Amino acid sequence: MAERTTRRGGKSFSVTRLPGFAPIAVVVFLVLYAPIATLVGYSFNASESVSQWGGFSLHWYGVALQNGEVTDAAITSMIVAGFAAVISTLVATMAALGTTRRGHVPGQTVIYAMINQPLMVPEIVTAVALLIFFAMVKQATGYTGLGYLILAHSAFCIPFAYLPIRARLEGMDLSLETAAADLYASPWQTFRRVTLPLLMPAIFAGAMLAFVISLDDVVITEFIKSPGQDTLPTFMMGQLRRSMKPDVNAISTLLLGVTLVMLSAFFLLSRKRD
Amino acid sequence: MKKYLIATALLLSSTTLAAAEGELFLYNWGNYTSPEMIKKFEDQYGVKVTITDFDSNDTALAKIEAGAHGFDLAVPSAGFVGIYAEKGLIQELDLARLPNHANIAPEWMNVAWDEGRKWSVPWQWGSTGVSVNTKVYTGDINTSAIFMDPPEELKGKINVIPEMGDVLALATMYEGGEVCSEDPAVMKKVRDALLAAKPSWMAMDYSTVEKMSNNDYAATVDWNGSSMRARLGNADVAYGYPKEGFGLWMDNVVLLKDAKNVDNAYLFMDFIMQPENAAALSAFARYANGIAGSDAFMPEDMKTAPEIVTPAEFADKGHFVLACSGKALEYQTAIWTELQK
Repeated sequence: MAERTTRRGGKSFSVTRLPGFAPIAVVVFLVLYAPIATLVGYSFNASESVSQWGGFSLHWYGVALQNGEVTDAAITSMIVAGFAAVISTLVATMAALGTTRRGHVPGQTVIYAMINQPLMVPEIVTAVALLIFFAMVKQATGYTGLGYLILAHSAFCIPFAYLPIRARLEGMDLSLETAAADLYASPWQTFRRVTLPLLMPAIFAGAMLAFVISLDDVVITEFIKSPGQDTLPTFMMGQLRRSMKPDVNAISTLLLGVTLVMLSAFFLLSRKRD
Repeated sequence: MKKYLIATALLLSSTTLAAAEGELFLYNWGNYTSPEMIKKFEDQYGVKVTITDFDSNDTALAKIEAGAHGFDLAVPSAGFVGIYAEKGLIQELDLARLPNHANIAPEWMNVAWDEGRKWSVPWQWGSTGVSVNTKVYTGDINTSAIFMDPPEELKGKINVIPEMGDVLALATMYEGGEVCSEDPAVMKKVRDALLAAKPSWMAMDYSTVEKMSNNDYAATVDWNGSSMRARLGNADVAYGYPKEGFGLWMDNVVLLKDAKNVDNAYLFMDFIMQPENAAALSAFARYANGIAGSDAFMPEDMKTAPEIVTPAEFADKGHFVLACSGKALEYQTAIWTELQK
């Protein structure tokens, strides 16, 4: 939407024509991408050092992929992110339907704020709260599996899945649903045949975003992981403390690759409008 | 698809099911446990070892204190062993079940934080001193004057690691005080000396291995293991043991109070006190271990490494840097805050 307004007003005013726009843009992009480019470059380094170039090699990718701890951590990451994406998207879809497909309810803003709570509360606060809470649950039930991580990740992923789905629902033409109802479709048929297909791209986009957010989390995971549940980011944190080896660059690059693919998918899906 | 679902379901439940069957859960610093040694232990006893990483003593303590953590053994630093014991988080060891306990080197048996080693066994230890590029400075490097009162050649090329406890211990000993001194006169001298030295420093940074190898720094306050790694990248780097007193640290294995696999934990603690296995730990982590007789099994490059083998003349100059408390900590924090400005 923001795009459309700037384009329409392009003739009279464009931020790109302000003096100093180009240099500022270049500096911003440099700050954003130069460190990442360096890291990716050095992941192909042949030498033992993280910052001295010793020729091109895929050596550290081999080292990283052959390391059992790395593959274990990667599998844990994928399982947690997969479940968290599915659960949070389900909840987010229902929440989005509940908050858009009905008349105005008093306290709507409060409801939005409550759903988006993980965006406002500092991560470390959530982490400590969950640590204490889950410790009590663990003591009571004796269950120490991946369920805690999945639950926690699902919770903080909800707003990320919720926002694109709600945006889509708000932008959708209500007359289609009204027409379906006029043609004697039951509420379920309307939802199943009209609303859901139109909403699908946003649901996928929300799930991708949730997956990526879960994949990248460090703080909450570090606090609530049970024995043997290191994810890729927490595993990397542990590596940094001692001597940094170039395989960390390789793992980061792989992680970056997965994130990039998912984010591209997100943008492609969310662009596909009507 | 179905196969994956079943696999995940199994994975989700596995930790609860298998608890009784030959398992051991170790909670340790990341990148610190030799995988070869773990493999050997697993093969020898048929016990599956699961290692989980922590990144600071504080995180580890917080998680263990919260309870229901599921770990059997943890590896806190020396200053934290007492805190674990005080809070009732660890069990006193049954020495009869640790025949290799006798292998602990005499100097590591009666340590300040655990008299007689009744609560903890050695994992790895090291020292805090200075690394110097001997091409830039050819004088005596076995002194804290390297960063406290720097020679002309080094001025403006010195790094100091941003570790309050380690740096203040070196500085206090340089000024003739004791680690964790509560003497205001001494601490005043320490403060003045540090503030006077600071303009000669280039940075306060952790990445000493890289920057000493690259010749970015000509000298730094450093840990012996990272100094060794810097030397492997740059032959001009040498490690100095400040004769005014240098810092020592040690990480130790403790048996947690609510450990579920106590038998396996004892097997493991005894296993790592066998000289051969202790040497395997050192070969991986690149620090010394505190087990008598392990030298024979050490890799060649560590047997003779001047960073690992403390020269006899400096042996009595090392002092443990435990967490200070009360007045001492107040002074240190005040000085450190002023130094960071």
